[in-house]
Amino acid sequence: MGKSTGAHTGKPIRVGVDTGGTFTDFVYDQNGQIQLFKVPSTPADPSLAIRHGLEKICLKMKIQLADIEVVHGTTVGTNALLQRRGARTALITTRGFEDVLVIGRQARPELYNLNAVKPPPLVSDELRFGIAERVVASGEILQALDENELGDLVQRLKRENVESVAVSLLFSFLHPQHEERVAQALATLKIPLSLSSQILPEYREYERTSTVVINAYLQPLMGRYLSRLTENKEHSSKFSLRVMQSSGGSISAEMAAVEPVRTILSGPSGGVVGALRAARSARLENIITFDMGGTSTDVALCDKGAIRTTNEAIVAGLPVAVSVMDIHTVGAGGGSIARVDEGGSLRVGPESAGADPGPACYGRSLLPTVTDAHVVLGHFGGGGLLGGEFKLDAARAHEAIKQLASHLSRVSGKRVSVVAAAEGILSVANTNMERALRHISVERGHDPRQFALLPFGGAGGLHAVELARALRVPLVIAPPAPGALSAVGVMVADVIKDQSRTVMFANDPKQIARLGKVFADMEREAAAVLRAEGFARSQQRHERALAMRYRGQSFELEIRDTSGDIAARFHRAHRERYGYAQEQSEIEIVSARLRSFGVVPKLPVAKVSVSRGVAKPHDNAVAYFGKKLNVHVYRRDELSGNVKLKTPCIVTEYSATTLIPADTRARVDQFGNILIEL
Amino acid sequence: MKNTRFDPTTLEIYRALFTSVAEEMGVALRRTAFSPNIKERRDYSCAVFDARGRVIAQGDHMPVHLGSMPMAVAAALNEIKFAPGDVVALNDPFAGGTHLPDVTLVTPVVKGTRILFYVANRAHHADIGGATPGSMGLATDIYGEGIRIPPIRLVRNGVLDGDTMRLLLANVRGNVERRGDFDAQIGSLHTGAARLLEIVERRGEREAATYATQLIDYSARLMRHTIAAIPDGVYEAEDALDDDGITDEPVRLAVRVSVRGNGAVVDFTGSAPQVTGAINAVEAITVSAVSYVFRCLVGGEVPASAGLMEPIEVIAPPGTVVNANPPASVAGGNVETSQRIVDVLFKALAQALPDRIPAASQGTMNNLTIGGIDTRNGQEFSYYETVAGGMGARPSLDGMSGVHTHMTNSLNTPAEALEYAYPLRVREYRLRRGSGGTGKQRGGDGVIREIETLVPARMSLLADRRRRGPYGLHGGADGKTGTNKINGRDIAAKSSHELKAGDRIRLETPGGGGLGS
Repeated sequence: MGKSTGAHTGKPIRVGVDTGGTFTDFVYDQNGQIQLFKVPSTPADPSLAIRHGLEKICLKMKIQLADIEVVHGTTVGTNALLQRRGARTALITTRGFEDVLVIGRQARPELYNLNAVKPPPLVSDELRFGIAERVVASGEILQALDENELGDLVQRLKRENVESVAVSLLFSFLHPQHEERVAQALATLKIPLSLSSQILPEYREYERTSTVVINAYLQPLMGRYLSRLTENKEHSSKFSLRVMQSSGGSISAEMAAVEPVRTILSGPSGGVVGALRAARSARLENIITFDMGGTSTDVALCDKGAIRTTNEAIVAGLPVAVSVMDIHTVGAGGGSIARVDEGGSLRVGPESAGADPGPACYGRSLLPTVTDAHVVLGHFGGGGLLGGEFKLDAARAHEAIKQLASHLSRVSGKRVSVVAAAEGILSVANTNMERALRHISVERGHDPRQFALLPFGGAGGLHAVELARALRVPLVIAPPAPGALSAVGVMVADVIKDQSRTVMFANDPKQIARLGKVFADMEREAAAVLRAEGFARSQQRHERALAMRYRGQSFELEIRDTSGDIAARFHRAHRERYGYAQEQSEIEIVSARLRSFGVVPKLPVAKVSVSRGVAKPHDNAVAYFGKKLNVHVYRRDELSGNVKLKTPCIVTEYSATTLIPADTRARVDQFGNILIEL
Repeated sequence: MKNTRFDPTTLEIYRALFTSVAEEMGVALRRTAFSPNIKERRDYSCAVFDARGRVIAQGDHMPVHLGSMPMAVAAALNEIKFAPGDVVALNDPFAGGTHLPDVTLVTPVVKGTRILFYVANRAHHADIGGATPGSMGLATDIYGEGIRIPPIRLVRNGVLDGDTMRLLLANVRGNVERRGDFDAQIGSLHTGAARLLEIVERRGEREAATYATQLIDYSARLMRHTIAAIPDGVYEAEDALDDDGITDEPVRLAVRVSVRGNGAVVDFTGSAPQVTGAINAVEAITVSAVSYVFRCLVGGEVPASAGLMEPIEVIAPPGTVVNANPPASVAGGNVETSQRIVDVLFKALAQALPDRIPAASQGTMNNLTIGGIDTRNGQEFSYYETVAGGMGARPSLDGMSGVHTHMTNSLNTPAEALEYAYPLRVREYRLRRGSGGTGKQRGGDGVIREIETLVPARMSLLADRRRRGPYGLHGGADGKTGTNKINGRDIAAKSSHELKAGDRIRLETPGGGGLGS
């Protein structure tokens, strides 16, 4: 894989690539201007589309692949996990705990579903091996590792033809030597190994084991994919490659191949980074991002410019305990299917028409979806999708919604018009999405009135203003090129290395003093990694945090400022988050966490050409905004900065549509963001 | 009201709105509660009621609270004339409660002087007094189990009744934590009330009230639709709890389900008279278990409104183990007998719906309590946990292994967390292979959990399915019975013991029944 040529020098051409959807998005930096284009994705081997796009850039810029530095948002890991296409993986645990991976936290997935199933474990019964050894909570060794067992184990693994091995022993984060000794013995197998003391040295054996097993499960596949990407037979030249992590920063391809579990929400986290960058251009630091696509919607909250992360993510039903952006996903999107249930209620989703057969208006089905409701209501301004390249079958959409309307009429005993049915679908869809937005804001103690809503994805702009109204969000910001936000975010993201150590210290001066060494060790390790990636000391930044709690609690709060009176900081944080503090109670410092940044030079957001007054519409169309209206249709690429839009109106662009109802004020700022005040 | 017309879109919107009120109340409660039992094991429920006290929405919290919350609010309305700003507390199993640790708080949602809704929450408090820490011991009457709270005003006109609170706190262990949990419950009620008033403001009082009723009708329609799909007939079954922990006699449970058209009568006549040991269930628990079973049959999401039970009549003769009279002890009725009621009801329904009903799951919660002094810091510790087991085989699927089933779904304590928190050591935690009943579909396996105490301690166990295994269906074998040992020697499933440092408690939990041959 390509050795980094130094992201910080600004010499190589930086390219952001996001392979999330039907199209692979490319953005690149041409003399400070961001250029973007799309290439059809190649799901069987995403690297083909990437190669294709990179060659286009080379041709256009008259450069070699070696002059390019790619940052890649990938779904290779997520998809392999969802489709269970990972490696034949073995797991080695402390004897007696081989089934922790299967038992999990002993809860069943759905309360009232008699046919619920747990996601099958990534390691089958016969490939989970217990070994005699035991470390206890004090860090002492209760039972030493039995070296004699290891030889037999190696033979056994060889016979079983395993492709990777995960090792997760109890309390390994206090005494990593047992895992390291196992790793030495297994080295002769010459297959990827994942040690829990390296991937996630934190307590709670199920979550740690799940994380390390996912890592091992993805290692061979991710390694092959990334080397295929950079080492193409036809091209001798290599390019430098980094991969977006779920935490919102990138890592080197080498590191991604070793710790693929860190890339599992690669694409969505790129979107949030891109959204925050756009918001900052409009001087907004408090935003709720709203990424609505065909089958699902991702929402996230950035408070004072900080993206929330969590160590409690669940992906494909399995816990992932490394640092991941706190993105809440609901199964509602443009493709969500509407139906009348047995009790007579109008349900929308979670079943989705997907891309195939797709909504009725795609011409292959008669499934009434959210997108069809928009078609019926004229919300696409008479054009199709993708700048008119993709035609919509309005007659079919109408037919599908008409069938639903007659069903609704039967149930309610009064005539329901096609328009009323379409409006009903949107009201229900909005109610579902409002719940998702409340979940990440109100339910976590944030007041939506202090945030702006930032829609992206194909359908975000169709729903944003209505949702903002429901949540009393005063401002909606629709950034330019919302379809490529993820690729932009991937391109501009800093390099991030996350580390953590469970220490379980009490709040006493002697133990607090030891924290200094714990952090210093982690900083040394991070500094070496970042230096190898080409970041000088001055381009590095290290952020310390402590996971703390009251003794007896079993959840932690992260305290970001670790200097001075940490107890006082913890009490204050606890009061802010939970409404009270127990100042008399003992405090425990559970883990020390370090986030290290290799700071990538910022690309300023380009200004658009400006004019004054009210923008000139491209067209007029009949559309329903609560009632039938003749509204302006603006084309995004015809809007210059600083103009006002006459509301109600529809703004169309290549990959998205924005609805702006009456009773709002809308204008374009100098960076091309549309700002809608409610 | 039955025949009023409704708009399907508005109905769906209210389904989401009212449910989200209950869920937000739950988040508020969890965020502000003090005790791990509420914060971590999530042993609580929140619900919204209409102006007549009928439940219209409930969060997906604890199944065992599903049918019993409405009875708590009914009892409160029966005893108290609510004024704005009142909060009524109760836990009396014989007046709307289930067992004493579960304390329910209710408040009206008022606009001007009109009561539009009620909101309520129920939380399992870590201690509510009585002879044993944790209030889950083997008392022989209710007075030995803790403090009994009939519906009383804890808050009057917005002001906390200090005298009442002091009386309560004087009778429970860990009163700082208790006080904090009560405050959290009151705060959660305020969250729910504010949210409901916001909805009323946005959509109008009349519409909100109309659709509260419509939601009840909606749940009833879905339930009727479900029952109509069950072939008409009378289905009978029997099962039993091993014993009541005082004598060795099995405790019989009998049910007779009569399905006719879209209605059902569930009659428990023939079940054992109430017993001396603490496994008596009050009627609220029996109704909860019945509504759990029928809700499972509906499939998909359905609001847990009063309409669910409209087409179902429950007959639980007073003075029996499914509807005990005071002063019976009831601590285990909620956790053990509730499971057996589910078992016997599914067994009867399996005759009607052989393609849908699973064989018996482990049928116990394996309640384990260990307490003593932690010599590492000289402080008292009290560890409480329930242990998973095997799920019964399904007609087209094996049972899940190592999960909580039916009336509970609380989480385990990770071994590493447990060893940091308590002077205990987990020696083994694995599936109990081969414990699931054989059959065309296999029952899920139970769990082996062995814990060593590092200090002298006192332990209590409250468990069942140790004498007869969870039943198989249609020729499938029964799941294996559970076992309990201290240092390799069997102990009774409902018993307390003194432990010395180094003693090991080993639980092997029951497997699920198999299905088909």
